[in-house]
Amino acid sequence: MSELTLLILQLAFLALLWVFIFIVVYAMRSDLFGQRVRKLKDGAPATAGAGAGAGAGAAASPGANPAAMAAAAAAGTAAAGGAAPAAPPPPAPKVPTFVPAPGTELSGPPRATTANASRLVITSGTKSGSEIPLGTEPLTIGRSSDSSVVIRDDYTSTHHARLMIWGDEWVIQDLDSTNGTFLDGNRVTAPVHIPLNTTIRIGATSFELRR
Amino acid sequence: MSGNAAAIAEAGAPAPTPGRGIRRIRVPQKLRNLELFLLVIVCAVNAFAVVLVQFGALGAADIGTIITLGAGLSVLVIGMHIALRFVATNADPFILPIAALLNGIGIAMIYRIDIAENLTGWESTAVRQVVWTGLAVAIAIIVILVIRNHRVLQRYTYVAMLVAAILLLLPMLPGIGQEIYGARVWIHIGAFSFQPGEVAKIALAVFFAGYLVSRRDSLSMVGRTVLGMRFPRARDLGPILVLWALSMSIIIFQRDLGTALLYFGLFVVMIYVATGRASWVVLGVGLFLAGAVIAGQVLVYVNDRFTNWLDAFNPDIYNADGGSYQLVQGLFGLANGGLIGTGLGQGRPDITPLAQSDYIIASIGEELGLAGMFAILALYLLFIARGFRISFAGQDDFGRLLGVGLSFTVALQCFIVIGGVTRVIPLTGLTTPFLAAGGSSLVANWIIVALLLRLSDTVRNQPRLVI
Repeated sequence: MSELTLLILQLAFLALLWVFIFIVVYAMRSDLFGQRVRKLKDGAPATAGAGAGAGAGAAASPGANPAAMAAAAAAGTAAAGGAAPAAPPPPAPKVPTFVPAPGTELSGPPRATTANASRLVITSGTKSGSEIPLGTEPLTIGRSSDSSVVIRDDYTSTHHARLMIWGDEWVIQDLDSTNGTFLDGNRVTAPVHIPLNTTIRIGATSFELRR
Repeated sequence: MSGNAAAIAEAGAPAPTPGRGIRRIRVPQKLRNLELFLLVIVCAVNAFAVVLVQFGALGAADIGTIITLGAGLSVLVIGMHIALRFVATNADPFILPIAALLNGIGIAMIYRIDIAENLTGWESTAVRQVVWTGLAVAIAIIVILVIRNHRVLQRYTYVAMLVAAILLLLPMLPGIGQEIYGARVWIHIGAFSFQPGEVAKIALAVFFAGYLVSRRDSLSMVGRTVLGMRFPRARDLGPILVLWALSMSIIIFQRDLGTALLYFGLFVVMIYVATGRASWVVLGVGLFLAGAVIAGQVLVYVNDRFTNWLDAFNPDIYNADGGSYQLVQGLFGLANGGLIGTGLGQGRPDITPLAQSDYIIASIGEELGLAGMFAILALYLLFIARGFRISFAGQDDFGRLLGVGLSFTVALQCFIVIGGVTRVIPLTGLTTPFLAAGGSSLVANWIIVALLLRLSDTVRNQPRLVI
């Protein structure tokens, strides 16, 4: 075995090691560069004003550019009385604090619990009408493919919000999303209990928890 | 979408057909096929490494040894892969290949040191390492078969604490405890010796995760603000002080600096992740540094470690008994390796004492050079990044904390060992995960692999809806 052969074999071995590393990195590239954003098609309007609940007035006219649609969405929230600032908060992934919000809709519909809510129904957006069964497990919502409800549009953050179970009641928590999560038109800042049949809006998609 | 009007009509309808519109994007075996592809490459690299060792050190290939060392590990990890196909279809596809590659390179390197020291048969460390790997992978398969949901572990929070305490105390028992190189961290039963502290770190991670999930509100919400940081109340300092006392007693009674640092660092990071308060890190690092400085003044062996680290190239210290000879030889080995290394089987890593266990990273650095060393570090980085990624994507807080804890133990252990060998921090005896010769470390790290795979399967295995 000549020295030259050994040197070539050594270089080949090192090259193989690095090739393996780059294959792994290439395969997990969505972790590095984020999930791909799916542009809304021009022909298909993102939302319809017929969505139940207040504040879903983000009806985008066909052919509108995303900026105009975002402006329309912001205008819609302002009209709904939400105190949402237009400036997006910094997307730092800090650990959210767990402040139980004061019960807002005490006089409204009953709170959703694992006993009385059995499904999550999309009420507006491209997949309007579809639903997902609710179990006793928490759900996550976001653009990331790890999420339980994956919403691939321009307004949703990678990890946008999550539905948790406190005791046996469903609670929604906003995960520092850029464009916010709105429960019945009010921006969710701290974990808050979800009443049954009440609209939760994320970007151009709204959904409700139903029996 | 056939028409917008239809969609609106559906939304307004009182009860749409259950399950309509749910698109199952879960393609069951896609991740596993990627894993199989990566595993085939890994097995080839591992066999290639053993062949290179034989060419370099012996001048010819010996088929029998290649089959024992190369095929042994390959069969085992493929077995684990098949088990995953049945019980954890959506588990992360990168963790198993990376762990298998590190383990295989470790076996090749240990085999290379065996050749230099003329060890064969059951005397050979490499053969024992393969046997331990077999045992470790078998235990990992059992873990993944038995634990179908990681939340089961939360029920055993305090049992885990008890198990960790017993494992930590075992080496102190007079009958089975054993002192090797001054550290009393081994137990000896029959022909086997085992380091129970390695397995204790998993039990501790389970305990910390379960405990912090239930107690983190009181640890994070209250306290007074000093210099822009909110410090906890005095009465909430109990847990961190108990852990500090535990680490200090490990330093004093078991004379093991590395393990103490590992446990305390694990707790500090998990409490930081659970509460989001930087003050815990400030408190923890301050407490540990104070303890280490006092230990350095009082305990002779700690003081020696500091002297060896700060003044390694002083001839007196180099020649002293228990001096910096090993550390400096390791550095000479790394320097000898240069950019691309001397070539597998062609360096002299065996000059350094314990070249197959504590100093395996120096041996690899000598024979594979800077390029190989960085490849190893990149593999660790990818492994740990996957662990953090899995915990980040998790739904339940216990699983998230457990994932962070388990991957952080691997990260911290790498830092303590590799930092010690390369003279970044004082040298302390810990094993390099997956690489170093040592059964207890292999078993513990393969259990971590199994738990991370289980966590990642749970994360992906849930009702999904894609919009």
